[in-house]
Amino acid sequence: MLALEGKQPDRVPVVLYPRYNALRYAQHTFAEALDDPEKYVAAQLSAQRRFQYDSVHDYNMMGPVEEAMGRPAGFKLKYVKDDAPMVEASVKIKASPDLEKLNAKVDPSIDGLCPKVLWVVKQLKLRTMEKGEPRVPVITWGSCPSRTAAVLMGYDQWFMLLIRNPELAMEFMELCIGPWLDMVISEVDSGADLVWVNDPVSSADCISRAHYEKYTQPYEKKFIAAIKDRTGVPVIFHPCGNWHDRLDLVAQNGADALFPGTMDLSLVYEKTMGVNNVKALNGGVGSARPNTKDLKGTTLAEDATTLLNGKPEEVEREAKRAIKIGTQRGPGFLLGGNCFPPLDVPLINIDALVYSARKYGEYPISI
Amino acid sequence: MMSKEDLLQQVSEQIVAYDADKLIESVKNALEHNVPSYEIVLAMSKGMQVVGHKFEDKEYFLPDLLMAAEAMKTAMDVLGPYVTTAKATATGKVLIGTVEGDIHDIGKNIVVIFLKSAGFEVYDLGTDVPAKRFIEEAKAVNPDILGMSGLLSTSLPAMGEVIEALKREGMRGRMKVLLGGSPVTDDFGKRVGADATTNEAISGIRIMENWMKEKA
Repeated sequence: MLALEGKQPDRVPVVLYPRYNALRYAQHTFAEALDDPEKYVAAQLSAQRRFQYDSVHDYNMMGPVEEAMGRPAGFKLKYVKDDAPMVEASVKIKASPDLEKLNAKVDPSIDGLCPKVLWVVKQLKLRTMEKGEPRVPVITWGSCPSRTAAVLMGYDQWFMLLIRNPELAMEFMELCIGPWLDMVISEVDSGADLVWVNDPVSSADCISRAHYEKYTQPYEKKFIAAIKDRTGVPVIFHPCGNWHDRLDLVAQNGADALFPGTMDLSLVYEKTMGVNNVKALNGGVGSARPNTKDLKGTTLAEDATTLLNGKPEEVEREAKRAIKIGTQRGPGFLLGGNCFPPLDVPLINIDALVYSARKYGEYPISI
Repeated sequence: MMSKEDLLQQVSEQIVAYDADKLIESVKNALEHNVPSYEIVLAMSKGMQVVGHKFEDKEYFLPDLLMAAEAMKTAMDVLGPYVTTAKATATGKVLIGTVEGDIHDIGKNIVVIFLKSAGFEVYDLGTDVPAKRFIEEAKAVNPDILGMSGLLSTSLPAMGEVIEALKREGMRGRMKVLLGGSPVTDDFGKRVGADATTNEAISGIRIMENWMKEKA
C-alpha cells in the first residue's frame, strides 16, 4: 500500500493476479471454487502464505454485475470447468429503448453472483487480519463501462455500435457506471483495500486513439473518479493490449497506479509516472522488450509468456530489469507479470518472481 | 451509362467505406447491368484487401474491419441467388474453429470473412470445438489448412491436443496448421508442432495466402 502512495516500503512488493496459480496450488478447478467459495478463499490464502507475494484477490472478471444487469434481457453466462464463466448469450442493443430492458438497479447483496464475490472479499480480509497479515491487501475488481457494455452486447457488436451509433454507445456506458460502482462500494465495504479496473476494448488493437479519447475514455475517467470519491481506496488501472500510442491519455484517467501488461515498461514509465497523480506501476515480467517496433514503426506489445514458458533464471532476469526501470526515480513499483498468471504457470516461476523482489528490490535499490 | 469497370469500382469503394446500404445499391446496379456475379465478388474482395491494408497501416481499426466484413456479408446475401453460377475462384480449403473450452470468436470470424473474400473455401466449425470434431471434419473436408483459434491461455493445451490427434491419425502431413489468438506465441507453436502462429487476423490471412502460393 505504501508503494501505491508513492512512499518507500522496505522492498519492492510483488503483486500478481493469482487467480489461476492459487487454484492450481490448492488443486481446485475454477468451477469447484465457484461452487464453493470457501475453496477459493482457502486457495488464495494458502498460496499467498506458501509463495509470499504481497496480495490476495477475489474471483476477478467473472461478470457478476453483467449477469445481474443483463439477465432480464436474455444475457446468459456459460460455466466452464477451469475458467471464469464465459458469455453464452448477449443482449441486443439497437436503440435506446433496448437499454431499458437491462437491470440498472443491481443490488450486490442479493443479485446473481455478486453476494458470492462479496463473501470472498470479506473472508479474505478477515482471515488475513486474523493471521496478523494486515499488510497483505485484498484486491478486488471493477469493470470499466466500455468493457461492461462490450461484455453485455458481444464484443463485435460493441465495436460496430461505436461507429454506427456512438451516442447510443455513450448512453450505454453511462448506464453501466452505476451498477458497477455500487458493486465496488460493496466490495470495499466488505474489506477490499484496492480496486483493479481494466479496459480490454480500447487499446490500439481495437479502436483508434480518437475514438478512445472521444467515446470510451470519458466514462473510464468518470468511473475511476467515482470509485475514488465514494470509497477512498486506490485504483490500479490495467490498459489491456497495446496502448503505446495513447499513454498520455491513460495517464489522465485518475488511477493511482497502472498495470501495463504486455507493453514496454520503460515507455510506460516515461510517459505516465508522476503524471496526473500516477504514483506507481505494477508488472514488468513478460512486458515487451524495450523499443521493439514493427516495420511501420509501431511499438509492439507482444504477449510474452515468461512466467508460463520461461525458466526461473529468465523470470529473475526480467524481474531485475523491471525493478531497475520501475524504481529509477524512487519508489512506486510493484513487481508482477503481464496478465493473470495462467493456469499452467510452473510454480517455481512464482517462487523466482518473489525471490527476485527480495534479491534486487530491497530499498535503497542498487542494481 | 457507367462502364463495367466503373460499376465494379463503385462496389469496391463501398466495401472500403463499409456503407452496407450503398454497397447493396451498387451490387444491384452492377447486376442490372449484367456484370457477372463472380466479378462483383472479386470487386468486393479487392475492397476487403484495401480494408486489410488500411488496418495494417493503423488507418482502420477493429470496428472498421467488422463493419466492412458485415457489409460484405450483407451484400453476399443479395448476391446469393446469382453466385451459384459464379466462376469458381477457390484458392484453397480452410477448416477453422475456436478450440474446446473457448467461445471467443471475433478474430476467427474476421479471418473467415477475409478468407472468403480472398477466394478460399472455408469450413467454419464455430467455437468450443473438441479435438474429435476437428479430426472428423478434417477427414471429411480434406483441407489445405487447419486453423485453430483461442483467446484464453487455458485454450493452448487444446490446440496441442488437436495436432497430436492429427499425428495419431496420420493426417498431419496433409495440411498446414495455423494457430491464432493473443496467448499464442511462436515458441508455443513450435513446441506443439504447428506450421505458424499469428496474433492478428490480417497477418494470418497473409500466411495462408503465401502457403497456397507455395503449393500452387
